[in-house]
Amino acid sequence: MRISDSLILDRPEQTFFADPALDRAFGVVMALATEVYVQRDRVRALERKLEAAGIIDRADMDREPSEDERQANAEDREAFVEGLMINLLGKQQAKGAS
Amino acid sequence: MDDRSFVAAQDFLLSSKTFWTKQIYEDLKRIYEDAVARSGETPTTPADVAAILEGDTLYRYFAWLERHLQRLKYAGRYGLVPYHDERRSVLAPPLRDTGAELSPTLEMPSYYRRVDIHQHPGGVFSDELDGYVYERGARSTTPLMGASHADLHHRFTDLVAAQDAERVLYGRILDMGCGFGKSTQPFHEAYPDARIDAIDLSGPCLALAAHQAPSRSSSKVRFRQMNACATDYEPDCFDLVTSTMLVHELPPGEIEKLFAEAARILAPGGRMVHLDFHAIDGPFARFMHYGHGLRNNEPFMQPWAEMDIHASLSDKGFTNINVIPFQEAEGVDLKNHAAWRFPWTVIQAELKTGG
Repeated sequence: MRISDSLILDRPEQTFFADPALDRAFGVVMALATEVYVQRDRVRALERKLEAAGIIDRADMDREPSEDERQANAEDREAFVEGLMINLLGKQQAKGAS
Repeated sequence: MDDRSFVAAQDFLLSSKTFWTKQIYEDLKRIYEDAVARSGETPTTPADVAAILEGDTLYRYFAWLERHLQRLKYAGRYGLVPYHDERRSVLAPPLRDTGAELSPTLEMPSYYRRVDIHQHPGGVFSDELDGYVYERGARSTTPLMGASHADLHHRFTDLVAAQDAERVLYGRILDMGCGFGKSTQPFHEAYPDARIDAIDLSGPCLALAAHQAPSRSSSKVRFRQMNACATDYEPDCFDLVTSTMLVHELPPGEIEKLFAEAARILAPGGRMVHLDFHAIDGPFARFMHYGHGLRNNEPFMQPWAEMDIHASLSDKGFTNINVIPFQEAEGVDLKNHAAWRFPWTVIQAELKTGG
């Protein structure tokens, strides 16, 4: 079953904000938040299994990372942040028709 | 979808609803009370409350979350409907031979078809797995009650039975709108020797009720597909007619028919007891409750809440009519509850002897 199978086409949308765009955008946020929590739950389950199998030490994983590890992650972290925040600048990445 | 992901997503949505029930509701109430204090005028109607709150940003999020957390719960990627649909081949076959007395040709009323109650896509009657979907959804209808939600039905049954300490009055019981049987079993436990008929419009819910009933082999309980407003029972054939969370789902004209039908099939002196939502304390609670009805696809909350029950029941031959707030769980303060709650109410009456 696809989500689109349950879409009702002949009823008006209930909206709660002055701009319906916010109603819909917040729907995207909550759907993403649900996905994030599902992934978080799976990672924790995986960690428990790995610890039970003697492969990882969760207390060790929970400790503050070393400076070396933080630096090793820096490039990935900055790319992540740039990809997220650059949307706020309102700049085009391809020449638009005008 | 895998079971773990489904449970994690549903737990996330329930935790979000719990935050809504407590923190957001409490903050909203404070905003309202502060605004009232500043204005120096006391709101008396839901429209007065709307004038204060409807432009407030937190209220907008409150309303959005009330509607859309329910949508995500039922119809999101990890919703109840797709989850059960993926398990159809396992879940459906046992529901096809349960002993429930189904009437496949029974016409579903237009009000029932027109709105998908509780935002359950297709309503609770159109898919053979709807009983499972409804049952799973009902577990998280009242976030703060958690696992004690089932206790609500026992508390209601205890209240009814408390007025019949010897357990002698009710040998014939009708449970109207029994759904998946959540209200029927407590009555069977309280009155094991009574003949109980449990009826509902929804065939899928009745099939699940019959499938799950511990008393499945008991000849004392029957699950029958029927419109509670127009049953096939002879006059005077029940001692107790009851329902749980049924009446508010009916338009006013159907409620009148429901009460009239109860009067017709009750024996003289018999009792009618409904657990529903009606006693609402103040315009703020009323505004919230009416909004809940609209946002949760329960469009008859308001007309039912404003109905003159005493007049309606008196006209139909009932007496000793009582409409009393109901404490759904131990410790709930009916007057000063900090968190959002339903206005639980018991409506009870007796059919006049010779009436």
